Amino acid sequence: MASWKPYDEMKVMGQRQPRLDGPEKVTGRARYTYDQRPPGMLYGVLLTSPHAAARVVAIDADRARALPGVRAVLTDIHPTGNVRFAGEYVAAVAAVNKQVALDAVALIEVNWQTRAHVVTLWEAIDEDAPRVFADKDNVTESERGDGDVDAGFSQAETIVEAEFFTQVQTHSPLETHGSVAAWDGDELTVWDSTQAVHGVREGLAKALEMPANKVRVICHHMGGGFGAKLGPGAYSVIAAKLARQAGAPVQLMLSRKDQHLSVGNRPDSWQQLKLGATKDGQFTAFECTTWGSGGIGGRGGVSQPYVYSFPAWKQQHHDVATNTGGARAFRAPGRPQACFAMEQIIDEMAWKLGLDPLDVRLRNDGNETRHEQWRIGAERIDWPRWRRREPGAGAGPIKRGVGMGASIWFTGGRGTKAQMDILSDGTVEVRCGTQDLGTGTRTLVAAVAAEELGLPIAAINARIGDSDFPYSGGSGGSTTAPSVAPAIKNTAEKAKAELAIVVARHLGVAADTLSFVDGTVRVASGQTLSWREACAMLGANAVSVQGEWQEGLSGSNVAGCQFAEVEVDTETGRISVIKVVAVADCGLIVDRLTTESQVNGAVIQGISYALLEERIMDSETGRMVNADFENYKVLGALETPEIDVILYDQPERGVIGIGEPPTIPTSAAVANAVYHAIGVRLRDLPMTPDKVLRALEGA
Amino acid sequence: MNEHKNDNEEAQSAVSRRGFLKGIGGGFIGSAAVGTGLLGEQAAAAVTGPPTMSGPQRITLHINGTQRQLDVEPRTTLLEALRDRLQLTGSKEVCDRGQCGACTVLIDGVAVLACMTLAADVGQREVTTVEGLAPEGQMNDLQQAFVAQDALMCGFCTPGFVMAGEALLRTNPTPTAGEIRMGVSGNVCRCGTYPKVFEAIEVTAKKRRS
Amino acid sequence: MVPFDLVSPRNLRDVAESLADGRGEILAGGTDLLDRLKERIDPPARVVNIKSLKELYGITEDSGLSLGPLTTMTEVAGNDRVRHQYPALAEAALSVATPQLRNMATLGGNLCQRPRCWYFRSNDYPCLKKGGSVCYAVTGRNKYHAIFGGGPSYIVHPSDTAPALIALGAQLEIHGATGKRMLPLHDFFQGPRENLLHENRLQRDELITRVQLPPAKESTRSTFLKFREKQSLDFAISSVAVALDMDGDTVRDGRIVLGGVAPVPWSVPAAVQQLQGRRLGSAIDDAAEAAVEGARPLDENGFKVTLTRNLLRRALQQLAQGKADAR
Repeated sequence: MASWKPYDEMKVMGQRQPRLDGPEKVTGRARYTYDQRPPGMLYGVLLTSPHAAARVVAIDADRARALPGVRAVLTDIHPTGNVRFAGEYVAAVAAVNKQVALDAVALIEVNWQTRAHVVTLWEAIDEDAPRVFADKDNVTESERGDGDVDAGFSQAETIVEAEFFTQVQTHSPLETHGSVAAWDGDELTVWDSTQAVHGVREGLAKALEMPANKVRVICHHMGGGFGAKLGPGAYSVIAAKLARQAGAPVQLMLSRKDQHLSVGNRPDSWQQLKLGATKDGQFTAFECTTWGSGGIGGRGGVSQPYVYSFPAWKQQHHDVATNTGGARAFRAPGRPQACFAMEQIIDEMAWKLGLDPLDVRLRNDGNETRHEQWRIGAERIDWPRWRRREPGAGAGPIKRGVGMGASIWFTGGRGTKAQMDILSDGTVEVRCGTQDLGTGTRTLVAAVAAEELGLPIAAINARIGDSDFPYSGGSGGSTTAPSVAPAIKNTAEKAKAELAIVVARHLGVAADTLSFVDGTVRVASGQTLSWREACAMLGANAVSVQGEWQEGLSGSNVAGCQFAEVEVDTETGRISVIKVVAVADCGLIVDRLTTESQVNGAVIQGISYALLEERIMDSETGRMVNADFENYKVLGALETPEIDVILYDQPERGVIGIGEPPTIPTSAAVANAVYHAIGVRLRDLPMTPDKVLRALEGA
Repeated sequence: MNEHKNDNEEAQSAVSRRGFLKGIGGGFIGSAAVGTGLLGEQAAAAVTGPPTMSGPQRITLHINGTQRQLDVEPRTTLLEALRDRLQLTGSKEVCDRGQCGACTVLIDGVAVLACMTLAADVGQREVTTVEGLAPEGQMNDLQQAFVAQDALMCGFCTPGFVMAGEALLRTNPTPTAGEIRMGVSGNVCRCGTYPKVFEAIEVTAKKRRS
Repeated sequence: MVPFDLVSPRNLRDVAESLADGRGEILAGGTDLLDRLKERIDPPARVVNIKSLKELYGITEDSGLSLGPLTTMTEVAGNDRVRHQYPALAEAALSVATPQLRNMATLGGNLCQRPRCWYFRSNDYPCLKKGGSVCYAVTGRNKYHAIFGGGPSYIVHPSDTAPALIALGAQLEIHGATGKRMLPLHDFFQGPRENLLHENRLQRDELITRVQLPPAKESTRSTFLKFREKQSLDFAISSVAVALDMDGDTVRDGRIVLGGVAPVPWSVPAAVQQLQGRRLGSAIDDAAEAAVEGARPLDENGFKVTLTRNLLRRALQQLAQGKADAR
């Protein structure tokens, strides 16, 4: 089995390495899909359904086609003509500039036959509710469990029952989804803002009924995805069709409104929990009934029971369809919802039993790594001092408290292939069909290659984000680092071995007497060549090898825990997060600097989920009323707390993914801190001032 | 209210007003002489009604120290002009409604939003975009600090943050921690780079002082 | 945006003429107008760019203070005279939106901006404010809507500077085709019962040409507090502007105006009555209660009653404690 060199011998990996594409990004030179401007490019705009449920009877686009500057109009882009949410794509236009395209869309007349709709979970579960799909119920039930729950509850000395609600959160990547499509004869090149260049190529080829080897998908830079850009988009197919009709490249980027409505979200949840424990806080049983609505997409799952060990448990889940855009994977799908509810009912149990909430967690947490992390986090936030404060005990209208939550994520990843060229001038190029979402993948690729070759990171040209490069999977599930890093190492190892053979032949020594250190090639006998001198021996025969993922270099199951300190203004209902201590499991760290950023970002997104973000639906019209960045509120600079990131090194576990786990427990830790501050529990996300004031009035 | 001139005085001071216009907008008036098919109508209209731009017209924008001519409509935003006409795609379109700061540019050194500015309203004022902060291929100190501190992830908000930070440091070279936060409070980052953005601005402020 | 003509008026007469047929919209900072143009809400035939009129700029001192309507929020908030003598206005201007928007947005525009109601701001809803027959907020999503003065429309007036300026006794100079007139800012706004389509009493050919503040008195203390869900960017969920004429610790007279809670900046004389002739510190709770008396919340905005009461209490407490800069 493959293995990494000792951590303390690493020169590039494990260091604080500024990301390689930083200079391009801070100067505005980085070209995202949104920034592609192939010669003659047209601008595409979608006409979307204003109705949540309707049939398209007819579309009259004659006036749009006649408008000067319009080069293509598609009125057959909806697969069935049966619209199931407001925001579905029904027609598309490409024109010489965006304004003209918008004018043209405004000229398209659609004859709609509307149907009754349901846009909230509450409406959809009603027996008399209109059906989202004619041929099936809105609710799909399932049950899971383990052990004898009844026996477990009969052993319990205390039982707590509670109900929790979480909202729909949209991914809101700053670069909206979109593509630029350009045809060259029967070959198609698509720049796509995607988390999966290879996946999009396959999907596009299928949708366009053309061979995959005639499709190339490029994504050099992309403006965030968070799970919403893992598959081929309908917009990519539409862009390709518009481009074909117009005979010119077409850019089709979704509007901010389109993005909120049509390309995924984290589903909401309604969770009824029941927890049994002995009087010293040992859990005996857990039971829950959950509902979740992933719109028309299913996937409304809630991952209970989350994290802790229960001798017996049962979950009855209801996946609810509504006339809203389908859910997509969103940074640890199903987990933040589950964690928010579970960590709160545990907290409730602890305070009810008069026990330290941390002790109750330690008693029921089977993960040894996290035991140590709990200890570290508690010390950093000074939990021993905070635990003495009774919930709601502070004087004055502004109160503080501390709460906690834990996470786990399976991560792991495999399957990546890569290619490396070492050229006779000493330059190195590594190519891999992965992509960088902003996580630092490009830098990771270069760091691993540099480490293996004994070169500085700047010596590596890391090329990614192109389906012409060897296969790598979609960047989701925190799988990228554990999937890519081993493949790069393997590829570099092979390239190094080939170079070593050539150099050894030239020097008349055995290849295994060579070592590659600090930009040099050293021979055991004492001779040292510079890297360039060694590469010059390649002559016309450059090294060009392919490698792939190997067992033993990456790990899975990422633990972590967080503590949050909050301030609650009981007169206005404002919750301010003051500080978050995030202890994050990171295995063998490839780049300490970008890893820190990942954890910061996960915590910040978690606070945003806890306090601000919510898709607000209007039941009567079936539309989202806040499909913008004014009323869909993404956390800003003034809401950002101090974040104490503690990277918990475990190099022996190999490279693991860090993108998702640190966002899971934040909302739960904040909610528990709010309870600690005001002595009243907030059970409904987001914890906005109206809910805080109502809770305080009801207390 | 002696600061208020009456209409006649105002009409008579056309020369000085023209000079004033250069400073604050209405640039298409001055550029009406750049021959487009509309010139005749424009000149005729000026006799009776106020200068009016009623269709595509060539304007000159002063961007990053150069003059760029381009055709715009009255409704063309500065952001469209930069991104779609001049290939200056560093300023990003994110919300297109003034809610995110990703299109922040400097006009005469003041941070404004290109998506909420009409291109024809820029006039002779100097526009600085993220591409203009340093010569091609180089970074200014703030940009360097963004890279060093890792104050960016996906990078799509980054040009806006850089411009907001630059505007802050030019007007307030010694910002407090609170002022730094306030200075970039008009910019949204979805990846959550705020803490490192604060660091980058703070580090740069310190460097510029010394 | 629907195509429009962009007019650069040479003088105020040009402005009046360009607006006279009701098909013109004024462009100042553009932060409100461009949002509506992009959404194609009541698209105008022409946009009248008043930024070429220099008499509309600047802050000048006379017996009081005269502010040009093109003064930006940044300039208002940073003006020493405003900060020291009219702190409520400085605080209000500083609380507007974001740094970039404050650099663009003008005082006149802040007073004349249209509602932020999500039904009004989307072309998907032919609501009352757009000449339709329904206020969608009544049975729809109304967390941010009016708790006072609502019906038949329940929008709230979004201005932050308006409550502060009304509390400070500001007057407007307004120019139209027939000349100029003065109007107390308090009388400038009108609710939906008076006029559904226009939030203020500007005639269609008229333009605000000056915002006039009365002389600041040594005995006046003023402040402005705004509450928003998200500190970065948000409009007010509720705001309070207070200007009190004090005799030592005793309140002689004053004005209290609430923002973000009614279709117009909402003056609460009943709250002032509770304070008159009393030591400020002893009358705060009574005034705060009186301010929210008669509130009629919708399904989702009851919290704004509590919030507004508490916010006013906090503002009055701050004045009672005599913040150094709050005269």
